[in-house]
Amino acid sequence: MPIRRNGTRPRARKLMSVATDSLGAAIAAPAFVRAGEIGSGVSFRDVTVTYGATTVLEGLNLEVEPGEILALIGPSGSGKTTALRVVAGFIKPSRGRVSIGDEDVTSLPPYARGLGMVVQNYALFPHMRVDQNVAFGLRAQNASRELIASRIDDCLAIVGMSKYARRYPAELSGGQQQRVAIARALAIRPRVLLLDEPLSALDAQIRRNMVEELARLHRDLPNLTVLYVTHDQSEALTLADRIAIMKDGRLNAFGPSRRLYHSPPSRFAAEFLGRANLLPVTVEGYEAGTELARTRFAGRVLLARPSPATSTGAKALLCVRPHAIRRAEASDANAFAGTVASVLWQGEAHHVTLDANGTVLRFAVSPVEDPPRVGADLWVSFPAEDATLIPEDANG
Amino acid sequence: MLVWTRTGRALAWGGGALLMLVVYGAPIIVIAMASFARQWNGVLPTGFTLDHYGTALSGDSAGQIAVSLMTGAAASLFAILVGAWAALALRALRPAPRLVLDLVFFMPSAVPSVSVGLGLLVAFSQPPVLLNGTTAMVILAHFVLISAFSYGNLSAGLKRLRPDYEQVAESLGARPHYRLIHVTLPLVLPYVVGAFGLSFALSMGELGATSMVYPPGWVTMPVGIFALTDRGNIFDASALTIVLVIVTLVVLLLLGRISNRAAR
Amino acid sequence: MASGNAGLSPAFTLGPAPRRLIRTEAWVIPPLLVVAGVFLYPIVLILRQALSDDAGHFSFSQPLSVFRTAAFWSALEHTIEIALAASAGCIVLGLALALVLSFVGFPGSRFIARLIETFVALPTFLVALAFTFIYGSAGMLNEGLIAGLGLKSAPIDFLYSPWGVILAEITVYTPFVLRPLLAAFSLIDSAQIEVAGSLGARAGQIIREIILPAALPALLAGGSLCLLLTVNEFGVVLFIGAKGVITLPLMVYDKAIQEFDYPTACVVAIVNIILSLGLYSLYRVLLARLGGRRAGLD
Repeated sequence: MPIRRNGTRPRARKLMSVATDSLGAAIAAPAFVRAGEIGSGVSFRDVTVTYGATTVLEGLNLEVEPGEILALIGPSGSGKTTALRVVAGFIKPSRGRVSIGDEDVTSLPPYARGLGMVVQNYALFPHMRVDQNVAFGLRAQNASRELIASRIDDCLAIVGMSKYARRYPAELSGGQQQRVAIARALAIRPRVLLLDEPLSALDAQIRRNMVEELARLHRDLPNLTVLYVTHDQSEALTLADRIAIMKDGRLNAFGPSRRLYHSPPSRFAAEFLGRANLLPVTVEGYEAGTELARTRFAGRVLLARPSPATSTGAKALLCVRPHAIRRAEASDANAFAGTVASVLWQGEAHHVTLDANGTVLRFAVSPVEDPPRVGADLWVSFPAEDATLIPEDANG
Repeated sequence: MLVWTRTGRALAWGGGALLMLVVYGAPIIVIAMASFARQWNGVLPTGFTLDHYGTALSGDSAGQIAVSLMTGAAASLFAILVGAWAALALRALRPAPRLVLDLVFFMPSAVPSVSVGLGLLVAFSQPPVLLNGTTAMVILAHFVLISAFSYGNLSAGLKRLRPDYEQVAESLGARPHYRLIHVTLPLVLPYVVGAFGLSFALSMGELGATSMVYPPGWVTMPVGIFALTDRGNIFDASALTIVLVIVTLVVLLLLGRISNRAAR
Repeated sequence: MASGNAGLSPAFTLGPAPRRLIRTEAWVIPPLLVVAGVFLYPIVLILRQALSDDAGHFSFSQPLSVFRTAAFWSALEHTIEIALAASAGCIVLGLALALVLSFVGFPGSRFIARLIETFVALPTFLVALAFTFIYGSAGMLNEGLIAGLGLKSAPIDFLYSPWGVILAEITVYTPFVLRPLLAAFSLIDSAQIEVAGSLGARAGQIIREIILPAALPALLAGGSLCLLLTVNEFGVVLFIGAKGVITLPLMVYDKAIQEFDYPTACVVAIVNIILSLGLYSLYRVLLARLGGRRAGLD
């Protein structure tokens, strides 16, 4: 309800609010997301999960902001799914607390936490129709029939499955089932939406469509907090506001997606989030007149964005993504040489592997150009702003 | 797949079919022949008559058919109830007590049926609970033997149930009893119906425990069939056996249909 | 705002964790009580009867006197030898049938497998009754041989020896080996066999090196199950009714129902139960070791 503003005539204000409401309803998010109602944040405080002698999750400290999509990514066994299940309430942490909003939920059973969950295998109840599936959570909590009916309509409309309301899950394709599963989770207006590898069971083509759907969903429901677990880094890059990279049960890297991609803090993060070329360099200091670091590689000077974790004289890794590398001349800035080890054509590009002083790099050449010959010497360069330094750490 | 040549395959096929015919087809065929036979002195029976079926479907024998059906239905119903309850309740236990109780619930099927009958006879022919000579003893005996079987069946079915469904239901706000009624039970319904059918079949053919505890007024078909053969009425016995087989198969078929529809 | 929340119980608000009325674990008590009452209690009473003397005190006199009779040892010996022979037969026959049904592409092999499953639902004495028609002294085989070979009396009388019971039990219990084998075989990737064939392996080698190792868990588990079931079989032995073939279950029945000698019946029953439980433990251990999945008994 609009707050009463001093000085405005009541009648005019009422007309204004009616106008803006209808306008808003016509173009903005569906009816059930009221302005002002915010999803909750999630916070992990030193969460540890151990099974006997194995520690699956160790000392996780993480804050999920209300309304953001946070992706938890990592290889299998990294603990990302465990972290999600701790939030859901299916795993009890051996140590630490979990809070949703201001409420400590560590001891609450799953059905009292106000979360919606979507799993890899959809788990639509096969003995119920689509609309009954969507209504399940509301019915379990004794919602009124009118509310249930309107929510079903809203949620199915959001995911574009209104026409399938009276079908059974067995009659739907994988992508359709997943959309119904999302609608079912949204129907109870969860504080947080948990997605556990929701697209892994889908075909590549359908997966691409679904990523766009999820992105659109996030735009339409800007107040919904989403915790998204996946092993696919491209999904994470597309969808997430912030990314948390897990490795061996610990948080390895964390930050906004773009920053994490352009300036990965560790070798593991660099290699996990997108393809990375890592050149072992020695840091010489700052380049005069710029904010770039000056490094030496195979006798050449290479400039890159510095990292606070590297120091002058130390060894470091220079991370440059394949798309930033171009063929160059010896006289170009930021260039170095190598021998072409292999050239593979893959339709949209020639993928070139270059051996530079023992380090193997990969980059792509546009298919309309002539690809370099295998065995030939080649000079390549990259823009300094597209490269970053990473501390050379033994465990990345 | 193993045999590539056509002659080889024909031989294996033929050999296998012959084996199966001899081992499994012969008994049924022979008893069926006997049930229709007027006399059987030589290799094959002579004469065709429906008299034996007439005897089987009237008088004492008809009563036995009813007794078997009622005992089977009652015992299977209770067995499913207890078996399902036990299987569901066991899921909430920690591994160690769960294993122990799993063994306890399985034990009745590991113990000879005659001993079960003897036990019931000894236990309930004396105070505090006196059931000696009542129909309840027979139903109880069948119940004990079947409950382990239906428990095992439902246990296996529950294990095959993906935990996803119940977890998602719980995350949507369903309290345990709501989840049980609306998600778990509907999903195991095919197994329940299947287990009921097989339990019923088990009960129809049960002889060991029944012969220890049955009162004169509550004679099941197997006991009746044995009595007939003991007296030398092998043709009547054969007819009643065929009736038993048909009734069992019909019940299995009907329940199988229901189970398939429930599995959707 | 209020209309949006109407009817939705506030599950997401602050509050104490909901208390369960009854601990979830306690739900196992009612069925446990039932089983204890109708199964464990009677068995304890059998035990008590077996281990008491006439005055009702604890004593080993009953078991000892039973163990002194030749009848008991004969029954025990018959039970074990019949069980071992029948189980061995089940394994052989089951393996043969499973190989043919699974690997020699058969139109209708699925149907036949279902048929055999249905056979399991039928009473065990059915086979025994049929056998008296086929192999009995006035049965088909004997009459045929007498007529065909001009004999004076029935040459075949194995039915009234342990062999009759063994043959009947093999018929009845082979499905318990066949089913797990069929399941285990269906898990074998047919590609393995096709590749082996293309590499030049003949059927015998494929069976020995690819199929049998996969079959072993199912064979062992199914075989031990057969042991358990044949030790406890009653209907077949009763219906064949051979004079010299007494097994433990039949002895319990005779002692209790025909002779009203309950103490002896209880002692024999206890021995039978101990034997069964031992075999059941073996079966469970084998299942655990070999993995229920691979044994096809999942």
